[in-house]
Amino acid sequence: MPLWIPVSSTDLALIANPINVAGPDFPGSEPTTLAERGGPHGIRAVLGRHKVATFGLSLFLAIVLVAILAPIISPHSPYKQNLGDNFLPPMWSEGGSATYPLGTDPLGRDLLSRLIYGARYSLLISACSVLFGSLIGFAIGVVAGFWGGKVDTVLMRLGDIQLAFPFVLFAIAVLAVSIERTVWQIILVLGISSWVLYARVVRGRMLTERERDYATAARALGASRPRVLMRYLLPNVWQVIPPIALLNLGFFVIVESLLSFLSLGLSPPTPSWGSILADGRQFMMITPWMALLPGIAIIVTVLSISLAADGFNDLVDPKLAHGGYLRKPLPGTVHDPEHETGDCLLTVRNLSTRFLTTGGAVHAVEGVDLHLRRGEVLGVVGESGSGKSTLGLSIIQLLDPSGRITSGRVLFEGLDLTRVSNRKMTSIRGRRIGMIFQDPSNSMTPVLTTGFQLREALRASGPVSRERADRLTREALVAVHIADPDRVLRAYPFELSGGMQQRVMIALAMIRNPDLLILDEPTSALDVTTQAQLLDELDRIRRERGTSVLFITHDIALLNGFADRILVMYGGEVCEDGPERDVLRAPQHPYTQALLSAVERASVTADGRLAAIPGDPPDPKRPLPGCPFAPRCPYVMDICWVSKPPRVPVGTHHRAACHLLTTLKELPA
Amino acid sequence: MSRLASFAHARPGNAMRVYILHRFLQMLVVIFGVVTVTFFAVRLVPGDPARLMEPPGTPESVLKITRQQLGTDKSIPDQYVAFVKDLARGDLGTSFRGGRQVTEVVLNALPNTFALGIASMLVATTISFAVGVGASLRPNGWFDRLTLFFSTVAQSTPSFWLGVVLTLYFAIELDWFPAVGMHGPASFVLPTSTLAIALMPLLIRAVRQGFIETMGEGFVRAARARGISDRRIISIHVTKVGAVPLVTLIGLQAGYVLGGAVVIESIFNWPGVGNLALQALQQRDFPLIQGTVVVIAVVFTVVNFLVDLTYAALDPRVKY
Repeated sequence: MPLWIPVSSTDLALIANPINVAGPDFPGSEPTTLAERGGPHGIRAVLGRHKVATFGLSLFLAIVLVAILAPIISPHSPYKQNLGDNFLPPMWSEGGSATYPLGTDPLGRDLLSRLIYGARYSLLISACSVLFGSLIGFAIGVVAGFWGGKVDTVLMRLGDIQLAFPFVLFAIAVLAVSIERTVWQIILVLGISSWVLYARVVRGRMLTERERDYATAARALGASRPRVLMRYLLPNVWQVIPPIALLNLGFFVIVESLLSFLSLGLSPPTPSWGSILADGRQFMMITPWMALLPGIAIIVTVLSISLAADGFNDLVDPKLAHGGYLRKPLPGTVHDPEHETGDCLLTVRNLSTRFLTTGGAVHAVEGVDLHLRRGEVLGVVGESGSGKSTLGLSIIQLLDPSGRITSGRVLFEGLDLTRVSNRKMTSIRGRRIGMIFQDPSNSMTPVLTTGFQLREALRASGPVSRERADRLTREALVAVHIADPDRVLRAYPFELSGGMQQRVMIALAMIRNPDLLILDEPTSALDVTTQAQLLDELDRIRRERGTSVLFITHDIALLNGFADRILVMYGGEVCEDGPERDVLRAPQHPYTQALLSAVERASVTADGRLAAIPGDPPDPKRPLPGCPFAPRCPYVMDICWVSKPPRVPVGTHHRAACHLLTTLKELPA
Repeated sequence: MSRLASFAHARPGNAMRVYILHRFLQMLVVIFGVVTVTFFAVRLVPGDPARLMEPPGTPESVLKITRQQLGTDKSIPDQYVAFVKDLARGDLGTSFRGGRQVTEVVLNALPNTFALGIASMLVATTISFAVGVGASLRPNGWFDRLTLFFSTVAQSTPSFWLGVVLTLYFAIELDWFPAVGMHGPASFVLPTSTLAIALMPLLIRAVRQGFIETMGEGFVRAARARGISDRRIISIHVTKVGAVPLVTLIGLQAGYVLGGAVVIESIFNWPGVGNLALQALQQRDFPLIQGTVVVIAVVFTVVNFLVDLTYAALDPRVKY
């Protein structure tokens, strides 16, 4: 068994993906400290896991206690032979006696006592080896990560070579030539064989920590290198050690007994679980219990350590996976009883979507209403975090696993999408509703060619002949003004530019002519020129094909001339909606007004935050009882803090949700 | 085929050849390092191989001859030069028991180890993929919890103990399969199961983790938005992306198989290199110990080289 057996998801990532090993970006390097992560969870799943972890930890401590108290609690000396009493079975079998609760071995030694003493040696050797190995690994990792360059290269190559060496062979090679094997020799072998594991993780963490603000700031302020290392880096780096060390400990318990099983461990007659098992195996026909018992001792010990380690990992890095890849349709009737056939394609009624996180539920979308007619373009605008993207994903039913639609309906031609089966939803996606996402480089499957993905999208509704598929995929690319479709068809996504990728995404989304196209910031990742070209492209295609469009953006200026109507979102709620012209020229909600004046001053930052409006977007984990915009609103009144403003008509098909409007209306003109 | 064709098109074959050559040279360096490590590891702990090999009380004059035969009478640097020179000719020395060539003995045993290792890896990989993907579909669901529980228990179970228990029950108690030796397909069942169970926990966790992460990628959501069936997304899109890193893990597990073979082969008396190494150890056959270790380490390095090439061929993004 090699010693570098990955022990947690962290080093799993390291080992499973050696390309990344050099880089610092694996899960273990997340920039949070124990204190930051250990906040309140309040979720049953985490509590449940902690119970298991507590159980594991208690069990492990009990085993440690037994090992420490071995001389007091073991009924016999582990070395005392009593040949008259050999091969005695455990007390519960026939012929067993209470003097030897677990029976005796071929030399008449008490098995229980030998097992208890075995725990002592096993844990002593494992713990010291972990300490030794982690210290060397830590030191080497710090040196490699801090000094970098040639030192780093040499050390890491050395590690590679050691990894190319199955552990048992290493142990055989080293231990084979010594006649008497002592505890310290075994610790030396185990420790040396495990340093690479620690060194790699520590080095990775060093590389990230070194570039963090506080470290660069300290350097800039003239702190000496040793001081930066000791004062700033090491306190943050050591934290990667304990979870690995814990699992490593469990692994060493197995390895120690493996060595004695192979007669490579402690020399007899020192009791060890592995040698008891080896004896048991030799007399398997006579004393099967002797083979079983040490294994159970090992499993219980290692399992208790694993459970405790899992709990520790959870504490450092709490993960909560709610649901999974497939969504659960909401209960209830799929067909809308109030549906009337007309030119209305999509109606969203009182939609609320939440995300379950360790810190509580995130209210991303709260009671949103909207409707979209055939051929119409509805612009949805808001800052990042306003819930506009979640709205789009709620419509096409592709929320993250932690997302839930908690109430409301999404009616597409009278069909409630929140309630249709997964199979039905798959048949609707692509053919009836398409969606294009912000980052084109992450929207195409990286290992499949453009042509493959286009043909696949085309054939999703049913078989299409090879010739027809070739012709249609070519046409789809030509339709988005791709000059050399044949080259693009053969290309992998990474071989295309960002603008080209997004054109391909449009071709992919439009190849089956969906009735509704949801665009989620389709041009935000592109440069301004490409952005304009793409918008023209989209506008032309949707006019040619009569596609309805839901255009989600943080940039209200993009909607000018593109959208028929505009819906403004803030804090997961709709604050204003109306015809494009009215909303842009006569905005009624203070937030819309602020958005527009920000555009005039060209101060929308790249990430979609509004620099021009003082204050921060609301915290979606703590929704306000009143108007979400109240904390930033220049006209805020007392009522805004306590009650939600209703959406009131302020023009033809133009509504806004602001207490200012209702209050003013009540005043005599 | 079409994928390969477009692959060749995307990249001139020359770059691929340069890459292979580069990795090959790298492998030679690693092999050299591994051989060196073996040489010094065997000599790391103070002790006299000659004294170990001869019965206690052997007169010094006999020990002297043994040392000459072993070559351990020379200085370490001289021994090292001689060792590397012989190795370059494929000569690993002569076994002390029976006087056979170490190279020949080891190469005879190697195919048996390969047979056991490949069978175990096939079984382990197939089951792990099915179970891991199943668990990843609903993280924290009942199947996922069950999977994680069993893989934690399996990870805590020493394979040498499992081998003994399986023998006790299936070979002795039920007499379904032979307990030892390599005679026909039935004799593969117990050693293969033992080794596969030892390999699986890690693979299952890796598959599960990899698939959960990949399923959370933007391109999966985009493919779903295009109406591609979930079965297709998982079996083609997610598998192609998520499985590529696993290829490396499987390669690294080859090391586990080779190391685990020592234990499993000894339990089931399998005529492979692992068993050979242990026998050499018990008989204190110094050249044979050194020889088996060198061969296994070299095999492991070569396997990893092949895995790297596979990795490059599977993922078009890998830059040469």
